[in-house]
Amino acid sequence: MNPVFRKLQAVNQVLTLCRATPCIQRPVWDSVDKRQYKSMPTHGIGRWRHFIPREPPKKKKDKHQMKPILAATDTAYGSLSVRVSGHDMTLVEHYSQYIHNLCNRLGIKVAESYALPTKTTEVMLMQEQGTKMFVEAVLKTHQRVVQLSSLDATLCPLFMGVVLKNQPEGVRLSVKEHTEADFHSRFKGRPELEGLMAQINQ
Amino acid sequence: MSSALSRSLCRVLTRHRATISSCRALFLRFRAEPKKKKKVDPRRELVLRERMKKKLKKLEKVPPEFIPVEDLITPAKYLDETRERSAPRLSFEESERRALLLKEWCRYKKNQHMAEVEAVELALEAQREALEELKLESEELYQAALKPDPLLFPFTHEGPAYTPANTKYYAPDGKYNDITKVYTQ
Repeated sequence: MNPVFRKLQAVNQVLTLCRATPCIQRPVWDSVDKRQYKSMPTHGIGRWRHFIPREPPKKKKDKHQMKPILAATDTAYGSLSVRVSGHDMTLVEHYSQYIHNLCNRLGIKVAESYALPTKTTEVMLMQEQGTKMFVEAVLKTHQRVVQLSSLDATLCPLFMGVVLKNQPEGVRLSVKEHTEADFHSRFKGRPELEGLMAQINQ
Repeated sequence: MSSALSRSLCRVLTRHRATISSCRALFLRFRAEPKKKKKVDPRRELVLRERMKKKLKKLEKVPPEFIPVEDLITPAKYLDETRERSAPRLSFEESERRALLLKEWCRYKKNQHMAEVEAVELALEAQREALEELKLESEELYQAALKPDPLLFPFTHEGPAYTPANTKYYAPDGKYNDITKVYTQ
């Protein structure tokens, strides 16, 4: 027991001597906080998240904001909506996709590209004997809209030419100016709200 | 006091029939106190208005919803797993033929697309050169050429048809009914 203690004391004395003398290269096990790899020049070499631009935190209740409608300028048209409608859904969809790709290729800025609700039409024909009408067929008209924020007047004839050349059969193309009413027609009607507003204004 | 007076007056005057209506009016005037009603009515109206405004605020807080598009919703009957159809078994030659045909079609469409892109680029270049020449010629015409055409929109065009319209076609009598489902929030 005693020699062990004596050896420990000796070791302690040696250690204290070591601590007393100012040495530049301190042993690593002395202070645990100073980790040597943080001072290395390659520290943080794998970091990438600080490169991505910071997005503001998304609000849960996102009111559908309308993209600003630009007015016509001296050299360009304002916000236009290219509406593709027809009875054959595949043709309509493929045509709208083609128009969207064409805009991307020509450098025309596309604000939005969406589908409008399908319109169902019942075709009723008169019976041969009698005056009753009977349901002949149910036709569905599909609509797709490609909303352009602005269109250069120089690109317009080229764009229209290409679009018309590639128009498939049975598909109707209509290009109009985009208005707020068009945007609001996509939303569900709120009769209660309107009734209340009418009552308050009276 | 006033009511008793009015009653005595009435008794005196009831001998004459013509004065009954005037007596009644006198009686009512002295008996009723219409001032109370006037105080309650504006208060009631104000309270009603406030209630309606509160309701309006609550309704306005709810954001409007889009009308659902039927095209983008898969009907339930297609999600039924028992309706699955297994792929047909093809012979080696058939599958080879199909793969080669696909490649042929790819090549054809690619050539078509390349030709179209080239045509578009040529047209753009020609337009740019023409505009440059026009600018050198006259600045006014150049500015007029850059202006957008106001009469162009709205523009509608029907797709081409396989056959021209039949002039002697007699259409049967009938009508179209719009049965689109109307959604309300």
